Amino acid sequence: MTGIAAALLNSLDIGLLLFIIAVGLNIVFGVLNIINFAHGALYMLGAYLGYSCMNQLGMPFWLALAVAPLAVAALAVLVDRGMLRFIYQREISDSLLLTFALLLVLNEAVRMIWGTGIHVVEPPAPLQGTIVLPGGLNYPRYSLFVIAAGLLALAALWLLFNRTRLGKIMRAASLDRDMAQLLCINTRRVVTCVFAFGAWLAAMGGVVAAPMRAIDPGMGDKIIIESFIVVVIGGLGSFPGALLGAVALGLMHGLGGRFLPDVNLVLPFIGMALVLLLKPHGLMGTGGKA
Amino acid sequence: MNSKTYGAVALALVAAGLVALPWIAPYFYIFIATEVLILGLFAASFNLIFGYTGMLSFGHAAFFGAGAYATAMLLLWLEWPLLGCLVVATAAGALLALVIGFFSVRLNEVYFSMLTLAFGMMAYSVVHQWRSVTNGSDGISGFSVLGLGLGIDIPLGDPSVYYHVVLACVALAAAVLYRICRSSFGLMLRAIRQNAERVAFCGLDVRRYRLAAFTVAGAFAGLAGGLIAPFLRIASPEMMHWSMSAEPVLMSILGGTGYFLGPFLGAAVFVLLETWITSITQAWMLVLGIVLALMVMFFRHGVLGALLDRRRESK
Amino acid sequence: MFELTLKRALLALTAAGALAAGPASAAASGDPIKIGGLYILSGSAATYGKFAEQGIQLAMDEINAQGGVLGRPLALLMEDDQGKAAVGIQAARKLVYQDKVQALVGVDSSGVALGLVPTMKELRTPLILTHAATPHATGKLCNDYTFRISVNEEQNMRAAAELAAKTGAKRWTTIGPDYAFGHEVWEYFGKYLKKFNPDAELMKETAFPRFGAEDFTPFINGVMQNKPDGVIISVWGGDLVNFVRQANNLGFFNQGFQLMFAVGAATEVLTALGPQMPEGVWLGTRYWYAGYDSPRNEQFVDAFKKKYGVPPSYNAEGAYASIYAVKAAIEKGGKADAESIAKALQGLTLETPTGQLTLRKGDNQALIGPTWGRTGPMNDADKIRSLVDAKTFTGAEVTPALEDTGCKAS
Repeated sequence: MTGIAAALLNSLDIGLLLFIIAVGLNIVFGVLNIINFAHGALYMLGAYLGYSCMNQLGMPFWLALAVAPLAVAALAVLVDRGMLRFIYQREISDSLLLTFALLLVLNEAVRMIWGTGIHVVEPPAPLQGTIVLPGGLNYPRYSLFVIAAGLLALAALWLLFNRTRLGKIMRAASLDRDMAQLLCINTRRVVTCVFAFGAWLAAMGGVVAAPMRAIDPGMGDKIIIESFIVVVIGGLGSFPGALLGAVALGLMHGLGGRFLPDVNLVLPFIGMALVLLLKPHGLMGTGGKA
Repeated sequence: MNSKTYGAVALALVAAGLVALPWIAPYFYIFIATEVLILGLFAASFNLIFGYTGMLSFGHAAFFGAGAYATAMLLLWLEWPLLGCLVVATAAGALLALVIGFFSVRLNEVYFSMLTLAFGMMAYSVVHQWRSVTNGSDGISGFSVLGLGLGIDIPLGDPSVYYHVVLACVALAAAVLYRICRSSFGLMLRAIRQNAERVAFCGLDVRRYRLAAFTVAGAFAGLAGGLIAPFLRIASPEMMHWSMSAEPVLMSILGGTGYFLGPFLGAAVFVLLETWITSITQAWMLVLGIVLALMVMFFRHGVLGALLDRRRESK
Repeated sequence: MFELTLKRALLALTAAGALAAGPASAAASGDPIKIGGLYILSGSAATYGKFAEQGIQLAMDEINAQGGVLGRPLALLMEDDQGKAAVGIQAARKLVYQDKVQALVGVDSSGVALGLVPTMKELRTPLILTHAATPHATGKLCNDYTFRISVNEEQNMRAAAELAAKTGAKRWTTIGPDYAFGHEVWEYFGKYLKKFNPDAELMKETAFPRFGAEDFTPFINGVMQNKPDGVIISVWGGDLVNFVRQANNLGFFNQGFQLMFAVGAATEVLTALGPQMPEGVWLGTRYWYAGYDSPRNEQFVDAFKKKYGVPPSYNAEGAYASIYAVKAAIEKGGKADAESIAKALQGLTLETPTGQLTLRKGDNQALIGPTWGRTGPMNDADKIRSLVDAKTFTGAEVTPALEDTGCKAS
């Protein structure tokens, strides 16, 4: 019984970490209609910057969590102003290609700046070690923190989009950009903000993931497909959907890795295909054309 | 001389150059040229779906890999002549495309792209994990390329001989593909790219045209894959990975999606750039990223578009 | 911003060396002898290629400072195989046909080796394997152009099985990456364990996570549930770092089973893990920098530490030794072209940091053994765990007879 419980709990923390990382991709697509291929690289950049802040500059975890994502968001603003503004009005394939180009550049830049070594950061002191849960299961504290952080992120995002003016503006811009412009909403600025926000979330995911994963130059590539799967299963543009997608993927990894190791590589893609065929807007997606 | 004659002369010169290549260029360029031809065919097959029909597929490498694996398995287990393997490779690509396309062409735009990505990665995962049949992540290797078939006895192990075989196959395939693109079928595809709704209003089954294009593209991709396995002496799962699917996309964009020869030119530019730049620096990906970004931002119609200074009808 | 051509940098260095060389040392001059290096230079395992490059560079600098080989300097050209066989084969062709290297050293991945080794016959250039451990490269795929200067997995597992039998653990399982290397570790470990301890049980439940998997928790939990007596783990690189940290959290190291890490004593992994690598587990390696008492090893380790600031990993030493092997082969045969080097490498004996090393005639495999030891207290100077009870096996102890390797005389 503890086997299943451990697998389930493990699925939850993989899933929620994935949620934090992937939700930015979801939001950027929902509002801007752009699939950001460089999302994984931004996540990796966040992790490396977090590493630099903590191990090289000696900042505590919480400070790095505040600083590193902001730096990445600033970079995203530059990218938006410098590159993306040329292609916003164009069809989606251009944004895929341009963000793919950005991915190549970022991957190489990270390798050139931080080198090829494997880096490790420690969780902050109060979150180190394990804790005994009711039922006798020994679980790492930091993993529980990740679960809590993921749920907190979900709540915060829901509040942002549904209860604040900024959120309403973003939703308006996503539904009808021209109309929003007519209503004197500065859509250019909204676009930049949303893209930077997506990058901020990706980098945040990177810093949160850093104590759980070895930091190496390949981590961005590993996460991008996972993020796509999360976004597709949950629904492009819906972030409660992203949570669902992330947990679904977490379950596939956690339970699949434990009980179905021979097919666990292909399962997520089957899931992705099924969702696209049966409910293309995702399990919780809203509107849009299929 | 008008532009048509210019084009014909240029093409003839290039063709002559290609045939004479092993005798006029340094030895290593035989390998480069073989790779360019094969990837060019792969990219051209992709462009049938993308440039002509307007669908951005991210799983095209599945058909390429299918052709490669079919050929590798036949060579390793049954020692078939190459031509037989190529026929099977083409069929394998077509069959897989028919199955995947049947599900995929129902969807539009991003959803289509994501679904083809999913199917492509599914194929990759299966090949990667099915160690007993496909040898898993190590791929299938250790086969030798013996005969061509049809009673023609030439040493396929010699790179310049194999190069000429590839040249003949690709030229033939390109000619067939060109006929398809210029036919009324090709015209329908372009109409669908421009405005699928209007085509549907005319009473035509858009989905069937898309599926046909997808299948044909898969067939040619399979053929390209069948040519690459003996060239590299291996069929590996990476040939089905999404990063391999991205290559024909990049090459088509580089060369110009609006022109039939665009993907071929894009393949040449891509491979040559990669070879030269990796000799100078290990930061090849950085250069590729910058070049690609510039192309997408400023040279939307690719190298051919910039060279010919003509604009395709914008949507 | 871009890295300079190593070729250019080395030529510049050689020129500077020629000018700066005092009367005591003869400067190397003339056409450089080019050697190609084919390793993983990008992605998660990029650090392995980096270490190899450093080892090669150190060897070449030393050799060139002493007059080169036959009076000519050595030059290095590196290519990235990205861990993919198809890329490796094309890169090898480029190094041989375009860059005209006379010898190739490499590769990191056993998968790449399996694809590359058969093509060396067409390339007619010697390849010295310094890392990839699949026994097939000098076994059923052996040929006159492929040599291996490092320990292969069969030799490593024979040593491991001997140690495993001594521990008395009966039920063994494995956690390894899902490709040639991971499966072969299990295959050869099982074969030899049965020889040493016929009562040993090789459990059916094994774990082969995908190479590059980030989360090993499901596999770790699975193994703990099955309650083995011993586990042989062949996860390496960044995966091993992730594995150990996750395993720590799950209490994997407190379960009381014997743990052997096939290539655990890799300095890049131990540096990343620091004290998180637990004490008392068995780590194997192809070369342990503190495992040899010879002056040659001390000189190598000191020079490496001085130049790069860290102790040399096994990948660095293997690559370093391979350059000296090329030098020895050229000097033995008197000629510096690919075919002559290939001929001279057969049966070659040379002095390396690990001692006198012989490339066995027939399969071209070095007669060399791994070092295994238990993790001990932290070595504060080098900031990694030390190895206690370390035993360095000799080639004679662990190498199978030529008839048993599957290598048929070509």
